[in-house]
Amino acid sequence: MHVNVWHELVESNVGKAGLILIGLMVFLAVFAPVLSPYSPRENTDAPAFSRPSEDHWLGTNDARQDIWTQLLYGARTSLSVGFGVALLSAFIGVLVGGTAAIFGGLYDRFWMRVVDATIAIPDMIVIILVAAYFRPNVLLMILLLSALSWPEGARVVRAQTLTLKERMHVSAARTFGASWSHLLVRHIIPDLGPILVAIMIQDARRAVFMEAGLSFLGISDPSVMSWGIMMQYARIFTYLEVWKWWLLPTGLALSLTLIGLSFTGYSLESALDPRLREADHHHHHDGGI
Amino acid sequence: MLEINDLKASYDETEILAGVDLDLLRGDSLAIIGESGAGKTTLGLAVMGLLDGRCSGRILLDGKDVLSLDEKERRKMRGKDMAMVFQNVEDALDPLMTVSDQIGEAISAHREKDDPLEVEDRVRGLLRSVGLGEEKGGSFPHQLSGGEKQRALIAMALANDPQVLILDEPTASLDAVTKAEVTHLLRERIREKIVLVITHDISTAAKLTEKMAVLYAGRIIEMGETRDILDNPRHPYTRGLIRSSPNMTTTKDLQGIPGRMKHGVPGCPFSDRCTQRIDRCRKEVPKLTDAGDRMIACHRGGIVPLLELSGVRTSFGDFAAVDGVDLTLYEGETIALVGESGSGKTTLAKTVIGLFEQEEGEIRLEGEPLIKRDRDFYKRVQMIYQNPKESISHRMNVLEAVAEPLAIQKVGSPSERVAMVKRVLEEVELSSDDAFLKKYPHQISGGEAQRVAIARALVLNPKLLIADEPTSALDASVQAKILKLLLNLQEKRGLAILFITHDIALARKVSDRMAVMLKGKIVEEGPTSDVTTCPTHPYTMKLLEVAPGLAPMSKARETREERGGLWDVSEMPPLRAREL
Repeated sequence: MHVNVWHELVESNVGKAGLILIGLMVFLAVFAPVLSPYSPRENTDAPAFSRPSEDHWLGTNDARQDIWTQLLYGARTSLSVGFGVALLSAFIGVLVGGTAAIFGGLYDRFWMRVVDATIAIPDMIVIILVAAYFRPNVLLMILLLSALSWPEGARVVRAQTLTLKERMHVSAARTFGASWSHLLVRHIIPDLGPILVAIMIQDARRAVFMEAGLSFLGISDPSVMSWGIMMQYARIFTYLEVWKWWLLPTGLALSLTLIGLSFTGYSLESALDPRLREADHHHHHDGGI
Repeated sequence: MLEINDLKASYDETEILAGVDLDLLRGDSLAIIGESGAGKTTLGLAVMGLLDGRCSGRILLDGKDVLSLDEKERRKMRGKDMAMVFQNVEDALDPLMTVSDQIGEAISAHREKDDPLEVEDRVRGLLRSVGLGEEKGGSFPHQLSGGEKQRALIAMALANDPQVLILDEPTASLDAVTKAEVTHLLRERIREKIVLVITHDISTAAKLTEKMAVLYAGRIIEMGETRDILDNPRHPYTRGLIRSSPNMTTTKDLQGIPGRMKHGVPGCPFSDRCTQRIDRCRKEVPKLTDAGDRMIACHRGGIVPLLELSGVRTSFGDFAAVDGVDLTLYEGETIALVGESGSGKTTLAKTVIGLFEQEEGEIRLEGEPLIKRDRDFYKRVQMIYQNPKESISHRMNVLEAVAEPLAIQKVGSPSERVAMVKRVLEEVELSSDDAFLKKYPHQISGGEAQRVAIARALVLNPKLLIADEPTSALDASVQAKILKLLLNLQEKRGLAILFITHDIALARKVSDRMAVMLKGKIVEEGPTSDVTTCPTHPYTMKLLEVAPGLAPMSKARETREERGGLWDVSEMPPLRAREL
């Protein structure tokens, strides 16, 4: 099996659109200080609720802060939480799912019950309770969200590893006396690559959404600029015209980020799963080595 | 009786015989076998008192020490009490005398008083007894064929009915049919004598003698009943000799013995060429000691059992895929495990290597019970798989793939590993240049991939190689090359191979012993030649029946199959002189 997943991802329109959207958001987040002269909490000279202008592309809010700048820095928070959770929960997922599949037996059964139990926990309630108590900053938010989102990944990784484990090159490595870490790093993870990225995108999407939701509910660190917080403030002033350039662009940014992740994830999954592939795909790959 | 005690002989500081002890009674026939240069002929010459070099020890014939006699007394004994048939037929006869005269001379030389008529009578009798016919007696040597000359020489040796007869390569230069005739003749004529047959021809030795001694660099390293030694050689050198001699009994391809014989090495003389030597072998000379049915000189007690399985059972749920298997694999030996798919061959292999959990039974490796398979275990036991390309990760190039076992076992530094990889690639007859090292599995052929897989397995210097259908995915011509390679590697490294195949014709060519597996059990096991020629289990017979052959069905076989049975003895064509 030698299907070039990455190639197919870039070839498909949905995948292309998804990657462009993610790229755009990453660009905005990374170059925030370049794209705006202000800082997100800075009270500018412009009057409150001023309309979009050359100086303030999206106008200002009630505290004379530049909304465009806030949007840029909000992207930073959203994306850090998204990528952080993706990386951490994928790491835990590979460690737990991979070793469970390799060792099997009691160890496997133990971890799979832990996975079941974690999935059964109602995420939102736990997060709201914990977050309300801790007022988490970005790092804590990543840890909290990862702790709840790794089990799905672990399940997929375990299933995939069980198949990969039967591959002859893995057997061969085992009969050279390879340790589990060698098997995982050299033989399993490289072949897990695409599916792992699909899992990570899934986790990232959930994390971005959750983070926005939580800050919208006001249970995040208020000193951190976030799209959720922006929308919560903007909501108060919906009787004014300001929602057009305050609430709407923020909601749009969040939606585009989520859409970008969804598109990429969808396209990746269809490349991975031959049943989801279009029957008459113009790009025909030879399956054999 | 002939008694040889601690016989040593040397030519110019080179010790040719390094202490030989023998005890022979009337009626004993002993073959002395070994490569040229082992000291076989020297031993014969020493017994005859004909040796030029320095000699020590004792050679007692009926209590008289041949070595301490003076030349006159020795001459009296030679020809009368002991006689020798020499190796070179062409030179041993005087070209200017008739055969009868030469035999007559041999008789008269030991008589005080000559009675020409009696001598002539005896010569005629001798000529008849060696099958020459009296009319040949008047011939000169150049008028005789090789076989006839050999017969004449035998007649000369028998002239005075000596007690001890030494035959030095008695059939070496004869063609196969003449050889069979001469062998038959000798067997008849040597009864009730003490006979030493000096030969490198094992089949002649097998036909002529009851006992056999294997001589190596001037020492006897294995001695016992000829049958026992040939059926079941215990010294690695003896096994090597048998493997390298063409015969109609064994079916495996010929294999040589690595290295060359050297005299005067410290320790065991064979240690340089031995694949199972330990430190002690280089330091101490092993003594010839009693090992049950024979004497053997080896610090390790002969060929060591490398892998011993007893009552091994592996099951999946309620189904026992391997159900109580006993099997012993010796150092440097190939056992073919044959049987149809689903018989449990691969399960057994994977159980041994540790890919499947063994449920019951014991596995011993080099005598030690195998408790857990740690990293060290995989240095000694390796496996190659049916599909070589799948056994190599498609993300690894040749260099990475062959270096992987070294990396796992933490052997050497990265640069040392590259050197080791190159060496092992050359050993498996692959290119070791950079271009090849950078190739990925899908860029090389199936045969190359299997060689890479073999290189991967061998880079750790294992003692046991499990080969699971290693050639079933390859073309016949590539298959043949891979099998040759495996045999060569076995010869060079003393590798023991557990060869798993469903192809009994293939197994027959590569294995010393064969084990037939059916439904998780071994139903028949023995030397490959025995199993393939006289199978005892119906399943083995069935396997042999369906095995591939090349000959279109012969007429005899056709008729036989039409009749649905074997030939009647009465209908068989008359036997031609198969053996005089």
